[in-house]
This record gives sequence, structure tokens and C-alpha cells, in this order.
Amino acid sequence: MKLYVTGATGFVGSQVVAAARARGHDVVAVVRPARPVPALDDGVEPARVDLRSRRGVAESLAGVDAVIHLAAAKAGDFATQFAGTVVATENLLTAMDEAGATRLVGVSTFSVYDYRGIEPGTVLDEDSPIDRSPALRDEYARTKLVQEQLYRDFGDGDGRRCVIVRPGMIYGPGNLWHDLLGAGLGPRYLRIGSRATLPITYVENCADAIVLAAGRLADPTSTIDGEVINVVDDDLPTQERYAQAVAARTEVPRTIKLPWPVVRTVADVLALANRRLLGGRAKFPGIAVPDRLDARFKPLRYTNRKAKDLLGWEPRFDLDEAIERSLAAERAGSLAGSPAEHGR
Amino acid sequence: MSPERLQFPIRAAVVGSGAISKEHLGFLSGRAAIRASAPVEHRIRLVGVCDLSPVTARYSADEYGADAGYTDLGELLAEARPDVVHVLTPPETHVAVVTTCLEAGAHVICEKPITPTHRELIELLEVARANDRHLMESHNYRFNRTVVEMRRAIDEGEIGAVREVGIRVVLPVTDPAGRFGDPHLPNPIHRMPAGVVHDFITHVTYLLRHLAGPVDFDRIAAAWSNHSENPLFTWDDLDAILIGRGDAGPVHGRLRFDAGAGPDTFAIEVRGSDGWMETDLFQPYLRTVRPRPGGALLSPIVNHLANGWGLIDQGVRNVGRKIMQRGPYEGLYRMLDETYLALGAGRPLPVTADDMLGASELIDRLVDEKVRL
Repeated sequence: MKLYVTGATGFVGSQVVAAARARGHDVVAVVRPARPVPALDDGVEPARVDLRSRRGVAESLAGVDAVIHLAAAKAGDFATQFAGTVVATENLLTAMDEAGATRLVGVSTFSVYDYRGIEPGTVLDEDSPIDRSPALRDEYARTKLVQEQLYRDFGDGDGRRCVIVRPGMIYGPGNLWHDLLGAGLGPRYLRIGSRATLPITYVENCADAIVLAAGRLADPTSTIDGEVINVVDDDLPTQERYAQAVAARTEVPRTIKLPWPVVRTVADVLALANRRLLGGRAKFPGIAVPDRLDARFKPLRYTNRKAKDLLGWEPRFDLDEAIERSLAAERAGSLAGSPAEHGR
Repeated sequence: MSPERLQFPIRAAVVGSGAISKEHLGFLSGRAAIRASAPVEHRIRLVGVCDLSPVTARYSADEYGADAGYTDLGELLAEARPDVVHVLTPPETHVAVVTTCLEAGAHVICEKPITPTHRELIELLEVARANDRHLMESHNYRFNRTVVEMRRAIDEGEIGAVREVGIRVVLPVTDPAGRFGDPHLPNPIHRMPAGVVHDFITHVTYLLRHLAGPVDFDRIAAAWSNHSENPLFTWDDLDAILIGRGDAGPVHGRLRFDAGAGPDTFAIEVRGSDGWMETDLFQPYLRTVRPRPGGALLSPIVNHLANGWGLIDQGVRNVGRKIMQRGPYEGLYRMLDETYLALGAGRPLPVTADDMLGASELIDRLVDEKVRL
């Protein structure tokens, strides 16, 4: 099978390419025009396009069996992220129509869920509501929600097959100390909460799931078309256990621990004051906005049952192995891309 | 002939949904945090947003409450029938888009730089005149609070006759993660005569003219450099000196654009025969050193005390402005507010054809090979 992988040089994309090759798939790897072409093995050919422009995209899709769309913008202002995530996806899907490419694995994120509307302690799964009023969410969540709608619109078309994969926070080399633990404050790090379960997936495990989804999509007997699949690993750790596991093996920032209920109450008071006294126009840091805070730290439970049932996926590496592999890769300078392209 | 006054609510449309559209659409939808002369929604109806990307047009229309989103300019003009179109597309498209709008009977507010060259602006203004429509380039920083205050102080003689105006813009435009330094999909601004500096040169030239008053700059020298040596950039640095004569004597202008210094700065300094003023539009404050009560002996002390108190006061206000999301585009909202009031009253618009021509003529002279050092 020939897979077209966008974001192929990134943190997740490079592992997706490796996982695809390990399963014997050929790969067309989207490498942006000014980026040096990385060393590619025989089964990988580069496509030098930038998805923010339609130029050359349809041509580069000739002969592919399925598309894995990972490319997204996580940094920058709203316009930058809208162009890099939403317009890029629109251009890709238009080009797929032109090229007659009909199978899409659209990679999304846990960020799309409506965390304000989900009660603490309940199980978040694929049937949980997505955020329909994301005005107070960050740029990443807002643009990924629009992107998901594009995926669904594409999948609704005749003769197309589409599956949406929503990974939790993806950790790995260069991204072991991530945004679900807290937020930086100058030289210190504010650790928010300790007992909440982390919805995380190790990058190599996640890449396996994504490639399996592409394989199932190409199987005409598979019932995967139109499904949404969450990807989190087994035996998910609490924030505290994860932080300890990382800290036991490598240097981590000096932290100040803040209890979740205290931070959440402060955010609620600020939000109330903003609404009542400032007309809702004030803008506070993300950890002081209840909508954004809930999306990162609200204590919930998670399941990967659907990924296992539909994809036949099993995470290859547990937490300790994943951390060891990440640190070994960091030391070797391999496995590294842009961290955390997909998170909450 | 002058265009007829428009009836409220004025029908407005936006073409182009790039980064600056957030500010225009924020104003037009009544969402921008401004103290408008009257609720914007009573005076303006946002009838359409147009962008080549369907999802962008649809999203912007939904987000800002426009009647509809369009991907075709002709359809927008025919179906939405806007009285005013805000042209926010990349600069090299302005001539074609503005011409289409004017010929369809819409007044046009266009982002800077309105045209690549002075000659093209003259031709575009002729199209506006032939169609009896207004054409206005956004000179938004002229309407920022501290610039308005500087102009008032000059008009009231507080610093005497203006002798020198210095404007310094510092922005990290060569950052590869930024919209100008992105090597993968080069920004269209690189195709303008002054390259990336063209995105800012309109601001510095109209501010120079606004604060210096009527001056015939007969000597201009401009050093254009590419200090970063990034091949994407023609130039990333401008150092220009302009010398001329105004009503009250000689006037010097000093214009700087610097991509290598930091932090982000938009500093303006005006020196007069009796005193001087300075501000930074990105961290607004106004410092004025001028003759004070108490004569020559006490003026320095009074200036120290007044400016010290002013810095503390404006520092606190800036924290509030940051929290309340009042950024350097406060002048854009004020300019648009005045523009729509003028359109409704049949008055001249706050940025005139002479303002636009004066700025573009200076830009042409600055990019002219003959004055390159």
C-alpha cells in the first residue's frame, strides 16, 4: 500500500513513516519546500509541497492508496494556526478530490472535547460531546475543531472513506515534560494537580495506531469508515506518578505544586469578575481560564477499547519503557521532531 | 462632485481574511473594545466576508456575524451590495480588487500599502474619482491616542516649531517562525519594491508627514541593508534621513526600520524649538519636556515630576490595556469610527487623497536607486 503522510518530518510524522515502513507500506512523505530532505529509505519518496497553498498538492497525490493527515500548526496567532491547520486541510481535501484519492485518516486531538460539559470522574470516550462553543478555548482547539468538521464533510461524500483518530497528549523524545503537568512561570514550573489520570500515548504507540487505521481503511471488508477513534495507552498514570517516573530518570524543571481545586476556584472567580465587571473582554493567561484549565487538568477517566477493537492495536511500550526509549533517543539525537504537534 | 452621504446602517463588506481582518471585523461586528461614538451595530451592517478559501470565508462570516461568506468578489458585490468594502488582500492584489469594488459602486477602505508605487496610486484615485467613490488607505497609527496628543500639542505650540521627527520600528521580521520569515511559503510582501520593509514604510512616512506638517523634503538619503543575509529578504533594514523646509524653518526626518534589535518597538520622537515629546505605540506612554510654570529655573524639576508621574500612571494603564486586549490597533478602531461617521454625514474622510499621495511619493523617493547609500 502507498501511504501519503503529511507532517512527515515532525514529531509524530517521522514515527508514522517508520511504522508504515515497518509494515511494508510505501510512503509519500510531505516535506515542506525549504526544509532539507531528511535521509529517506528506499520506500519513501518526498513530496515538496506546502499545504497552505494548493500548488502541486494534487499532483503529489497521484497513485496513493490512503492519506494520513498529521500536519497542523500549534504555535502562532489564530491566523497562523488557521492557515496551517484549517486552510492546509481544506487544500489537501480539495486536492484529494482532484487526484481521485478517497481514503483519509484525519488525525485530530483530544482538544476537541467539551471538557466544561463533562462531569469530573466520568469516562471520556468517542461519544463524549465535542466543544460547540469554543470561543474561550485556545487557538489550537478552535482550529482543530474546524479541521474535524472538514474531515466529517469529506467523509460524507460519495465513494470516500474517512476515519478520525484522536490521540491524547503524545509524549516522547523532547516532549516528556508536557502541558498536562502544568505551566512554566519564569524559571519555575507550576505543577497543577496530582491525582488526575493523564490521557497520554507514547509517540511510537500512537504511530502504530495511525498506520493500522490506514490499513483498515483500505480493507473493503472493514467497518471502520466514518468512525472516530481515541488513542491513549494502557495503564494510564496519574500526574504524580508520571512526573515521578520522568524525574527519576532525567532533569526536570523546579516545580511549585498547586492543588487542582484551588487553581480551579481562582479561575472561576476571575471568570466571574470578567463577566460581571469587565464585560467578558479581559484576557487572562490560559491557566486562569476555566475552559482551558478543564481541558488540561480536569480529572477524568479514559478508555482505548475502541482502538483495540477496531484496529487490533496494542501499545507496544509501557510508560517506563517509553520514557527509557525517549531518553535514549534524545541522547542519540534520533527520534526527534517537533514535539507535541497533537495534544489537548 | 463629492459622493452622497450614506444612510445608516451602512452596508460593509470585507475582502481578505488574513491576520489584519480580525481587527476590521472586530470593529465592524461591534466586538472590538473601543469607545465608539455610538454603538457600532446601530450604524453598520456586515453584509459579507469574501476569501478565496471557502472555509475561511464561512468561518469569518459565522464568527463575526456577517450575513454571508463569499469566495467570489463579483458575487459579493452583486448579491451583498456593500456601500463600503474593506480590502485586506495581499498588497499586490490591491489595484485589481480596489478597481473592481470602485467600479461596482462601493467606497473602499484599503489596508496599506495601497499600491506598490505612487503612479499606481494616482491611477487608482482617478478610478475612484471617475466613479464618484471614496478611496481611503488605512493610516491607523495616526489615530492612536498618543499620536493624537502629540499632534494636539504641536498645534497648540507646546514644543514650538517642529525641527525633527524620528520614527523607529523594531520588529523581528526575519524570524523563520514568523509570517515574513517563513521560507516555505514566502510572504507576498517580498515582491513589493521595498520588500518586507514595504509592510511598515507606509506607517512611518504618513506619521512623518502628519507630525512634521507641510514640509518639502528636498534632500533624502536612504541606506537599505540586508543585515540578516537571509536570501528571502531584499532588505531587512532601513536607515533614512530626510531634510527639508517647512513653514517655520528647516525640518529633519529620521526613519528607521530594524529587524535585529529588540524588543518590539514603535518609537516616535518629535523635537521642537522649545521642547520635545516621545512615545512608543507598542508600550504607550507620552513623555513631554517643555517650558513649564516656574520659568527656566523650575521647568526641569517640573518636567521630571510630571513625566515621572505620567510614566507610573501610564504603566498601570498599560497593564489594564493588556488584560482588556486593547493593543496598538486602538487607532484603527478610532479611524474606522471616524470614517463611518463621516460617510454617514457626507463629510470628508479622515485620511485624504493628499495624505495618501504624500506618503506614497515619499516611499517612491526612499526606494529610488539614486538615494540608496
